Amino acid sequence: MSLRDNAIVAYAETKVMKKSDRDVWVLMGEILESLLDKTGFESKEIDGLVMSGLTGTGGASMFWAQSTADMLGLEVGFCEQVHTGGCSAAGAVARAAAAIDAGMCEVAVCMFADTHVREHNGRNDRNYRRDWTDPYGLLGPPGAFGLLQRGYDAKYGVDLRALGKLAVTQRNHAIMNENACEELRVPITIEDYLNSRMIADPIRLLDCVMLADGAAGLILTSQKRAKEKGIKKYVIPLGYAERTNFLGGEGLVDVTRSGHEVAAKKALATAGWNIKDVRSFHPYDDFLIALVIQLEAFGFCKPGEGMAFVRDTDLSYKGTLPLNTGGGQISAGQAACSSHNLIEAVRQLMGEAGQRQVKDTTNALVTGIGWINYGRNWGTSAALCLVPNQ
Amino acid sequence: MAVTLNDTLTVKREFKTPHYDFGMPYWEATRQKKLVIQYCKTAKKFQHFPRPVSIYTGRRRDIEWREVSGKGKVFSYTIAHRGTPPFHGAEPYAIASVTLDEGVNVIAGMVHCKAEDLKVGMKVKAYWHPLDSGEHLLMWQPDKDAK
Repeated sequence: MSLRDNAIVAYAETKVMKKSDRDVWVLMGEILESLLDKTGFESKEIDGLVMSGLTGTGGASMFWAQSTADMLGLEVGFCEQVHTGGCSAAGAVARAAAAIDAGMCEVAVCMFADTHVREHNGRNDRNYRRDWTDPYGLLGPPGAFGLLQRGYDAKYGVDLRALGKLAVTQRNHAIMNENACEELRVPITIEDYLNSRMIADPIRLLDCVMLADGAAGLILTSQKRAKEKGIKKYVIPLGYAERTNFLGGEGLVDVTRSGHEVAAKKALATAGWNIKDVRSFHPYDDFLIALVIQLEAFGFCKPGEGMAFVRDTDLSYKGTLPLNTGGGQISAGQAACSSHNLIEAVRQLMGEAGQRQVKDTTNALVTGIGWINYGRNWGTSAALCLVPNQ
Repeated sequence: MAVTLNDTLTVKREFKTPHYDFGMPYWEATRQKKLVIQYCKTAKKFQHFPRPVSIYTGRRRDIEWREVSGKGKVFSYTIAHRGTPPFHGAEPYAIASVTLDEGVNVIAGMVHCKAEDLKVGMKVKAYWHPLDSGEHLLMWQPDKDAK
């Protein structure tokens, strides 16, 4: 058994809400119900539960996955909470597959649910911040990405209109996505991007994700079990890799470089892909500059050429490289433990993306970015290569 | 657009938890307005922020503390237009990541600097802001005497 012997047999997603009107476990219940209905599995057949640890509602609980199994009535042989920040969604797929390969479970639910706007139960991170950045008022991710984008600008130059094009492209996709946060489904222009107020100069409001509430989930099982169950349509995880604390043993690191250099190479090699083979790209988007840096790190273009690549490439759902066709987190809302781009890629490969359906569903590439480290770029980088079974 | 930067010296700095014990030599040295950072004797390289081990070798015994000049060049900076809660009302203010002459980046707030003068590559030196504890908080200021 290996990663590619597994199958994502179903996905489910609630609408992204500016603030949920329902409890987080009600959202999970809706996801579970939908996943069971879509696959024909009974809840008694679910023997794996993999939760994202990236949650404000559950994050302060050391027992989040176990409490959820209890709430949902799931008896499982593998119960896991993934703690790689924004890589936790793609990482959950890899961990569920690894657990299935290892015989720890056969049918796993990956659950991504958070209502951090409605109910945030606090966090108590123990890291460098209390001594080394909090005393200076560096505002979490926007502050860190401010330093990152200025560093990129000094090395390669930032084209604000290229960033604006990314903002507009993703927004147009969100407008076509009825599950995107309703408040964000309004058209914007490049000028709107340029004129949006500064948060952490050079980071503007429209560079940033907006926290929102929502839930999503997947069911993974072996391809063998999927076929036995009579499931016709599924998505195969062909390659996965992640890298945490890239160049962590170096004192001075170029902020424009990330662990995606390593993770991309490994995931693509496992999948047997050349980057030019990728038919739609679903990169983690917490800030627009992260998209440019990922285009470079994955090899769609050379380092420093990301701005030109964005200018010269049609990144819309009908373009040459469809990018974040559900709107990305920046335009759909940062909900459901940042699983949005993964769920969208699965939906596209199943051919269920409606008016924003990409023409070529040969494959899709999903990424993750997790945590912010000190004066570098980000803590964990993930890459997941997906293909449909048919 | 001219932006006047706040030096944030009136913002109350509160450390809700004690400093990590493995970083205490840094804080003790700030009482005399001295900047000391960790040096790996095996790799012969500096590291910042303070760690419990050398990040180059993984060994605790490889670490020693060395006093450095506190001079360097701005590697990157951001101007906070929305501060963290203790800094609300103090915006805008600048935070710079500075590459010390010894080859590590150190993040700190910027003082005595106009927004139009703040540039990547500009030379800066330490500015010591007194804390109630008797320690000082490292900040950056333009180094006008630097060649």
